[in-house]
Amino acid sequence: MSTTQSNAPTPEKGKTSVLRLDRICLKFGDKRVLNGIDLSVVEGEVVVLIGASGSGKTSLLRCINLLNTPTSGSIVIDDEVLFHRQADGKNGTPIPNQEVNRIRSKTGMVFQQFNLFPHMTALENVMEGPVIVKKEPKEQARQTALKLLDLMGLAQHVEKYPRQLSGGQQQRVAIARAMAMQPKVMLFDEPTSALDPELVGEVMKAMVELAKSGMTMVIVTHELGFAFEVADRVVFLDQGLVAEQGPPSKVLLHPEHPRLKSFVGRFHESADLLRPFLEARQAEKAC
Amino acid sequence: MFDYTVITNNIGLLWQGLLMTLYFTVITIGAGLVLGLFVGLIQLSTFRPLVLLGQAYVEFFRNIPLLVTLLWVYYAFPIFAGINVTKFWAGFIGLSCYVASFYAEILRAGVQSVDPGQTDAATAIGMSYGQRMRRIILPQAFRKMIPPLAGQSIIQMKNTTLLSMITVPDLLYQASYISSFTYRPMEVYTAVGVIFLIILIPLTLLSRKLEKSGASAK
Repeated sequence: MSTTQSNAPTPEKGKTSVLRLDRICLKFGDKRVLNGIDLSVVEGEVVVLIGASGSGKTSLLRCINLLNTPTSGSIVIDDEVLFHRQADGKNGTPIPNQEVNRIRSKTGMVFQQFNLFPHMTALENVMEGPVIVKKEPKEQARQTALKLLDLMGLAQHVEKYPRQLSGGQQQRVAIARAMAMQPKVMLFDEPTSALDPELVGEVMKAMVELAKSGMTMVIVTHELGFAFEVADRVVFLDQGLVAEQGPPSKVLLHPEHPRLKSFVGRFHESADLLRPFLEARQAEKAC
Repeated sequence: MFDYTVITNNIGLLWQGLLMTLYFTVITIGAGLVLGLFVGLIQLSTFRPLVLLGQAYVEFFRNIPLLVTLLWVYYAFPIFAGINVTKFWAGFIGLSCYVASFYAEILRAGVQSVDPGQTDAATAIGMSYGQRMRRIILPQAFRKMIPPLAGQSIIQMKNTTLLSMITVPDLLYQASYISSFTYRPMEVYTAVGVIFLIILIPLTLLSRKLEKSGASAK
């Protein structure tokens, strides 16, 4: 966990913001997906995005590294402008592709379907970014990759191809691949949704370890229990807007927005029974 | 009766024809691959005019019969352009442009059949368009493209027989020449058919094998 528990929805003073989104709008044709989202993430913070399907959480995540190009708004990563376009559609500062690729590689992304490169071994998957994009010497990249794969508990599997690995193993390779670029912020797009239930745990465990190491993370997930455990801040998206946000104990246990109430309903019911336990846990973490 | 001497007496002419056929097969496949790769890639670009240009090229050459293309390039094009085009160049240009349109389609389909998640993943680690194509997309697409490429190349070899219509001395041209002075079309054209079978059947079997191994590698 980060050193201090963030209870405020806005970034704390004295901490540098790693990621800042301003009034992000996104349209697919006539369909408005995001309607002006502001989000700032400080160093070491773990932000979990929740919301019903179609609320725009995956689209928002894909906007952060420009896999989706927003219709308007601005994106600043590590104090560098990745994207800026005014609401009238005029492009204030067009950013050259080369710059976009460089700034983009400060984010690491983990996908629902893993998206490992099937023609490369686990090791080659992890080395690809550092060697091809960052032009690191092969041997150095190899050592870093081996270390990362070992950290993910995959030391036995470095020479295997993705098709020889289980879903959980593949996803951990994908995490190592993203980490190899030494990103400032890691983006997770429903990383456990495509996994068999018995494999969910190992991936979550790897992510908790990452959070503990101080990694800044933005996670889209449906696993509310996991959100409760790992998040510093939970952001509830509804109809392309931030409807409610705050620390997990607040958003998940005492929701105010009516749609959030029904969204966390089932979690809430079970949480009611566990509330004394969960709140004790939160208090313990805050110390 | 089947008179083998017609063939054995003229084996030199048939051999020359076969070499010409193989020569044109190889150089037009080579040029077609280069041109087809280019046309296929511009069809995959995001710049609309280029995409349309690529599509126009493909539809143009796919929808004109190859024989018409060859005759046009040899007889009509020199008049339009006011230049002299030899039959070899006409044959080379016509066949290459024609097969390139099919190769371009195979490439486009191959690249588009690669899971878009691969592009996402490559983009997310900061790869440029060129790096993505070279390192991630094309290696996967090529595996899927081998069987259709092999198939199209086999068709290309058969299509070279159309060169005889613009008097390029290929295998079929030599055969009709031999039959014109021996008056034995049965033996000569049978020999031509058999030669094609001998060359192409092993290639077809090979491409079928590649298709199988390609399918199991996935």
